[in-house]
Amino acid sequence: MPPESHREEDIFESQFIDRYLSEYASISSIVREALPFELLATVGGVIAGIIFSGMTSELEMIPGLIVIYPGVLGLRGNISSTLGSRLGSAIHMGLITDIDRNNPELTNNISGSLLLGFIMAILLGFLGHFVTLALGFESAGAFKLILICAISALTSGVILSFVAVLLAIGMFRFGFDPDNVVTPSIATIGDIVSMFMLFLSAKLVVML
Amino acid sequence: MKKAKKQTSYYTVQGIIKRGLPVLSITCVIGIIVGQVLNTREKSLLSMPAILILIPSLIKIGGDTGSMLGARLSSAFHMGLGDRIYRNPVVHNSVIAAAIVGFVSSISVSVLVFLASHFMGFGMPFLTLLEISLIAVVIELLVVYSATVAIAFASHRFGIDPDDTVIPLIASLGDLVGVMGIFVALHLLEII
Repeated sequence: MPPESHREEDIFESQFIDRYLSEYASISSIVREALPFELLATVGGVIAGIIFSGMTSELEMIPGLIVIYPGVLGLRGNISSTLGSRLGSAIHMGLITDIDRNNPELTNNISGSLLLGFIMAILLGFLGHFVTLALGFESAGAFKLILICAISALTSGVILSFVAVLLAIGMFRFGFDPDNVVTPSIATIGDIVSMFMLFLSAKLVVML
Repeated sequence: MKKAKKQTSYYTVQGIIKRGLPVLSITCVIGIIVGQVLNTREKSLLSMPAILILIPSLIKIGGDTGSMLGARLSSAFHMGLGDRIYRNPVVHNSVIAAAIVGFVSSISVSVLVFLASHFMGFGMPFLTLLEISLIAVVIELLVVYSATVAIAFASHRFGIDPDDTVIPLIASLGDLVGVMGIFVALHLLEII
């Protein structure tokens, strides 16, 4: 037990901390910062949903496509948003200042995330096929599902990396903090682009 | 591959892949589980295109607001603001704020889906869409926020930095609970 005077200081300090905290984390300030981005993201989600609802004939023709769709969207979002936040950190550290093909920091970031997306796409198609079979459902076959995953992962990866690099460097040039802009915008665009690429690659595989 | 020269850069392809693979593999497995849940009801989903429009945006809300909540909690811990779960203003206010953002977004999703599905000619009554969204979001936010607060406190207690690992996990947990929430709502409203 601390002496009486210390206790009073402690109480004073904890009251001070509480007051500081309720200002730092006031409900209205959090809502004001987060709501616009979340509303924008829902618009992106609804556009992705409209593409998804246009895929009904592909969903019927390729059994197992509905199984890999959440994974394809989730992977793309995770990989591109970590790419965006890494680019932000690299720009803050001064490692990337320009769109320069000879800068290994930039090329390694992009090729790393593309390769990661490709590996995960193969795993996703593979898992999608065998888990679907194991549960007793019909599947279009490992090859078709892996092909759909790989094509959509690579094409959407290239587009989103391009957008992330342009946004990160452009925003920095115009004096914005890339961390605040790149991740939410990639989250919004990412769903639309990867859903569209999933749609196109499913169409392509149906034609094969 | 033309990266034969000496690896002196800060970011290497190998490093990026090595850090990404474990977490992404877990999210990949969760994604497949979500897909299988959808697969069990594929027939009825395909007959209701309005629900297909609703799914991607609605299941994102829990993951998005949950990751924001997780990021805020971990920053608060890093700054040393509060160690208690109960009566902690940061936890309290962040959860309430995230829930407000989640509810407002779910209402906006149902309005947007209603408009989109009407323009595309397979309208569903607005009230039904709103009910589905609200029921699904209540379930999603309850589960995801409890998990987020628990994970944030656990990683703080055990000294793990909850940056790259926790947020993708919360996002895919949000997908899983979101899809289940939508199915629960569809069952409660006796649509499937």
